[in-house]
Amino acid sequence: MGNIQSISYFLPELMVIATVVVALIADLVYSDRNSYKVGYLVIAGLVVASFTLWLSLPEETTPIFLNTIVVDPFSRIFKFVFLLATFIVVLMSMNSDELKGVRTGEYYTLMAAMVLGMSLMASSVDLIMVYLSIEIVSIISFILAGYLRAQVRSNEAALKYVIYGAFSSGLMLYGLSLLYGLTGTTKLFQLSGSISSLGPGSNLTLTVSTILMLAGFGYKVAIVPFHFWTPDVYEGAPTPVTAYLSVAPKAAGFALLIRFFNTLFGTGQPLNSPVWQAMEGVPWQDILMVLAAVTMTVGNLVAIQQKNIKRLLAYSSIAHAGYILMGVPVLSQEGVYAIVFYIIVYLFMQLGAFSLAIVVSNRYGTEIIEEYSGIGWKSPYLGFFMAVFMFSLTGIPPTAGFIGKMYLFAALINGGSQFYWLAIIGVLNSVISLYYYMRVVKVMYFQGGREKDLYVPGGMSAAIVLAMAIPSIYFGVRWSFLADWVNSSLKFFIAGF
Amino acid sequence: MSGQLIIFWIVTLVTVLSAATVVFSKNLIYSAVALLFTLLGVAGLYVFLWADFIAVTQILIYVGGILVLIIFGIMLTHRITSVRLSHSSMQRGIGGAIVLMIFVGLTSMIFRAPWYRVAAVEPQETVRQIGRLLMVDYLLPFEVASVLLLAALMGAALLSRKVN
Repeated sequence: MGNIQSISYFLPELMVIATVVVALIADLVYSDRNSYKVGYLVIAGLVVASFTLWLSLPEETTPIFLNTIVVDPFSRIFKFVFLLATFIVVLMSMNSDELKGVRTGEYYTLMAAMVLGMSLMASSVDLIMVYLSIEIVSIISFILAGYLRAQVRSNEAALKYVIYGAFSSGLMLYGLSLLYGLTGTTKLFQLSGSISSLGPGSNLTLTVSTILMLAGFGYKVAIVPFHFWTPDVYEGAPTPVTAYLSVAPKAAGFALLIRFFNTLFGTGQPLNSPVWQAMEGVPWQDILMVLAAVTMTVGNLVAIQQKNIKRLLAYSSIAHAGYILMGVPVLSQEGVYAIVFYIIVYLFMQLGAFSLAIVVSNRYGTEIIEEYSGIGWKSPYLGFFMAVFMFSLTGIPPTAGFIGKMYLFAALINGGSQFYWLAIIGVLNSVISLYYYMRVVKVMYFQGGREKDLYVPGGMSAAIVLAMAIPSIYFGVRWSFLADWVNSSLKFFIAGF
Repeated sequence: MSGQLIIFWIVTLVTVLSAATVVFSKNLIYSAVALLFTLLGVAGLYVFLWADFIAVTQILIYVGGILVLIIFGIMLTHRITSVRLSHSSMQRGIGGAIVLMIFVGLTSMIFRAPWYRVAAVEPQETVRQIGRLLMVDYLLPFEVASVLLLAALMGAALLSRKVN
């Protein structure tokens, strides 16, 4: 579709860009003390963008802007995830003591700009657009991670992030250039056509290219050989930023990963038919399966030794990236469906755990798990909900995390016997994760004194925690609403449980 | 050997040798000056690929802008020239072996790959084509790049502001 006609399909993103511009100008008008008001503007802009997105109902994959990006049900549902995550994190940031006393106008503006980058990641079908959208998200992540300039560890986080980011971008660009060299085109749909006609002589190059591109995508979703930045960045960045990085860009990375590899190396209408096949000769499925197994095992095993709650959640987010990655090589709508379902559930429980960590750090001034002792008695509100989020992250019924894992494992089992070993490793990993998640609950309830000061966090913070906890439990008991919504949004037809 | 080929090899040698100097030199100023020749050499390679516009852009932006900034940065930083850069790396043997393996692997891949070939045509000036591509085929990436630059500018302003 031509550039002019495409604009009407691009409205939600245009709303986000308008938000960025308005927020930027408003930030000039407000004084330092009132810069948090930009946050309200950004929230308003996100609501408008969500509304325009709600009104757009793409039936099928429509390439726009001369095959640069597509609008389709798959990207639409991911855009909702980005908008929701950003909305929650902006609210969380307004109630975080860490960000009090610094000028936050640019902070909210950059978050809005990040939504644009992530939306483009979920809809890119052109190598240049893929690279550009990843860079938008990366560069804004660097800035946000180093936002607290007075803190050494925040600066360190930003610097480490930049160095790893530049390195993995370089590797990914080399991989993309190999693809271009083989086919002479940057358009994903043409690429997949040219690749299938290349013959077996190109398999070696394609495999090398896959590994190199995985370095770029894997860095964004933090899967294992490319995860080294995660704990330091998550620990050093302001906690709301950590929460944001562990959910939104990760979801965007998975959207890109799913679309890119399935379109490039799949035959038989990837994403649009119930099941499709992998192209012969390039072992990308095997690579992804091994990476998924290694990612969750390393994430969980290292999480056991963590003493800082942010580091613990960082390694747990690596493990969750491993769980989600299990669904990618299945090559069925059921697998994609399970991934989207899991990402939505993960959004609630992960952001919930972080919002609780913010409340605890505001009130008790600590991020060390051992110093959480007795909080379960001092503040039953915090203790109870932390337990809910920890149960949900482990995947214990009746929480949403359990249903999410069940869909993932079901997709693996239905995918065929070559995935059984991966499902078994996934279940074993859930058992390992029980240990460190429960340790947080144990410290809160069974260690330290039992004085009762009955602390209940103030209005907005309590509301955010509650708003994250309700879906984490509700979708564990009655998930048909969410399941139906995901199903109808994706235009997939999957038999429910 | 044709004259063109001789010039090509000279350009390549200058690029690779100066790049090696950038990495191995212990003195930051030497590294920065060697980078000048690397960037010029890369611009020369672009000329061989008939990418005249990119070659000129490379010289204008990298040599004229970024390299000058780097040298300014080095000279304005207090006592940075006297800092001894340590290049001592651990596990040189294993590291070297891995690097050699990657080099051999990538080289053999490059020679085996069935690269896409275009029929040789009379090279034309590229500026007109690039302008057309940017304004028509790649309009969206071109516009989105402005958001990226805006974000980067805000980040730079933020980092250079006084900590309050």
